[in-house]
Amino acid sequence: MRTKNIIIFSLISTFFLMFLISIWKILATLQGLKIQNFNLQIIFILGFLISLAHLTISNKIRNFYKSIIFSLIFVICDGYLIQKLPLWYNIGVFLILFFFVNQIKKYNFNNLKEEHSTQVIFFDFLTLFGILFFSFVILFPFYMMLVTSFKTQMALLVNPLDFSINFSQDIKDLFKSYFVIFKSYKFGKYILTSTIVSLGTVIVTLLFAIPAAYAIARLNFFGRTFLSTSILIIYMFPAIVLVIPLYTVFSQLGLRNSIEGLLIVYTATTLPVAIYMLQGYFKSIPKELEEAAILDKLSWFGIIFKIIIPLSIPAISSVALYVFMIAWNEFLFSLMFLDNPNSFTLSRAIQYLSGDAETPRQYLMAGSVVVTLPVLLIFVYFEKYLVSGLTAGSVKG
Amino acid sequence: MANIKFTGVYKSFGSNEIIKDFNLKGKEDEFLVLVGPSGCGKSTLLRMIAGLEKIDEGEIFINDKKINDLHPSKRQTAMVFQSYALYPHMNVFENMSFGLKIEKRPKEEINSKVLQAAKILKIEELLERKPKQLSGGQRQRVAIGRAITRNPKIFLFDEPLSNLDAALRAEMRVEISKLHNQIKTNMIYVTHDQVEAMTLADRIVILNQGNIEQVGTPEEIYNDPDNIFVAQFIGTPKMNILEINEEDIISENTIKLFDNDIKFDNLKLKKSKLFIGIRPEHLKTNLKTNFTFKPEIELIENLGNEKIIYIKKDKHQLSAKIPSNINIQNSIGFDLENLFVFDQNGERTRS
Repeated sequence: MRTKNIIIFSLISTFFLMFLISIWKILATLQGLKIQNFNLQIIFILGFLISLAHLTISNKIRNFYKSIIFSLIFVICDGYLIQKLPLWYNIGVFLILFFFVNQIKKYNFNNLKEEHSTQVIFFDFLTLFGILFFSFVILFPFYMMLVTSFKTQMALLVNPLDFSINFSQDIKDLFKSYFVIFKSYKFGKYILTSTIVSLGTVIVTLLFAIPAAYAIARLNFFGRTFLSTSILIIYMFPAIVLVIPLYTVFSQLGLRNSIEGLLIVYTATTLPVAIYMLQGYFKSIPKELEEAAILDKLSWFGIIFKIIIPLSIPAISSVALYVFMIAWNEFLFSLMFLDNPNSFTLSRAIQYLSGDAETPRQYLMAGSVVVTLPVLLIFVYFEKYLVSGLTAGSVKG
Repeated sequence: MANIKFTGVYKSFGSNEIIKDFNLKGKEDEFLVLVGPSGCGKSTLLRMIAGLEKIDEGEIFINDKKINDLHPSKRQTAMVFQSYALYPHMNVFENMSFGLKIEKRPKEEINSKVLQAAKILKIEELLERKPKQLSGGQRQRVAIGRAITRNPKIFLFDEPLSNLDAALRAEMRVEISKLHNQIKTNMIYVTHDQVEAMTLADRIVILNQGNIEQVGTPEEIYNDPDNIFVAQFIGTPKMNILEINEEDIISENTIKLFDNDIKFDNLKLKKSKLFIGIRPEHLKTNLKTNFTFKPEIELIENLGNEKIIYIKKDKHQLSAKIPSNINIQNSIGFDLENLFVFDQNGERTRS
């Protein structure tokens, strides 16, 4: 049983190491490094030996030194003896090895004795594989976008598949695309429009959603169950079905090419989910809190403003974030309703640019980065509010 | 100084009648405990006083002023909830001063009132903390403090101790009792715990399915129960109820029980089924009692200071409570004065 476990452990960890090194080699190739072959068999043998050596040495050397020794051995074999490769590549390999040895440090002969340890190893590495795979899949397109935006027209034409960034050029040249899109393509104005529309949508949606969600969560009125279940029905209609009738109506009302028109449509499309999310959270707030507030002479509005809203900040901020992202990224309605470049939102502007064959690709990519970045930054900032648990302590628990 | 009066109060949820014709006149500044099994409507009654539940029919008066249509905040009541219901986003001071702040009272008054309440409950050093940093007992203290700062005519407690562990519950029970001595005002306390009811109450109201079974001081409830429900509800283990059939009724004041002829003074018994009640603590092992019988012992539970003995005799199941240092003999005795007679409907037959 033990031998079988040791072999399985070594095999899985070796495959994991091969996976890591291969990704690194692919990335290095994209950076312009010429690697003749991947030497998978040598990595396999080295990885296997390192896993076994790790088990045999176990705690005889401090973990930190052990990691450094293994990493150095691997780097020397892979980066110098087999094929001479530049320093930055080898530092990367060293860091990967360091990470790898630290990942396997919790395994030793003792816990490999247990019968179920193969399962544990298998799932541990499966998780790691999953995390790495998905982050690669998600981050790679973004990386491409970023790289392209930093290129010159010429570099793009010479080698479109070159994914390296030329840091040696002047900083002005590096960010040239960004200067251009703000100067000649009026991206500042588009950002302003998008910001107004998105923030406006957030404010209007919350203004309607909070009282509506509260009513559905707490008040008893005729048709309450029907209303709360039918809220999501709007999502049964594809937007493309709604867009044509809306187009005619908006044309007649003169709402086309106006921010107000967009605000109405965006609010209508985000409101159902906002209400749905909020009412679920409102229901989880203990009713006694509101009853205590009633006895404290608070009116309904007072209860909403002084009790419900402060307690729902996690839910409200996640709804706000969600609505903001929808409004910021929304494309179909802005494509249909906006024809005048003066009232374009960012996503509409990008489409406008890409429709024009003359627009260089690096400008488009710079524009895309500008569209993506705010949402990304807002998400990172708001993330800490998305944790609930603010109600802890009010009732038993 | 306050008193409360109910006249013909009804309450139903849908077709489910919770309170039926509830009449009660409270005394000045008394500690009134509403006790009963779950679902008997005691919490509903309390919430009706507070104004959190509408009164379907009938009237409730505080100091002879009808409060049916008054807004909850104008009834001069303060409620302590079972789940504390402290505002989690405010610290203890803010929690306790919230009501006063809404009323826009001057700052000095708020401060002095909160500090005064904190002093009574010994929570002065907790004023800066958030509710989640407090233990269960401390939270309940804050909840009571919040009620005190409202300066109510009537305090309403809705099972305030049932979320606490046993030791803390006993401690808080004493605190609440002391609090009532300190701030002499009307308190209405809902519980399903008979120990809380017996120890805290000036008067106990025993409720069952929306009806009052008996109102009285703890002594009256224990020593002179009106019916089998009350007799069995108070006291642990509950009172033994022995069914006496027609053939065991010898004459209109004599019955036959466990081979004893028991003769009651001044009692006229009908020749129909009746019930005899005797509390477990009144079954004794010494033989100086009026009557004795030979028990068949099924089980003995030793609780340390006392033993609960489960007995079978004829068709009857009984339990007896005796001090644990006494060994059970082969006979058990009881006295005439400790017997309660109930008619076939469970109502007490008094001499």
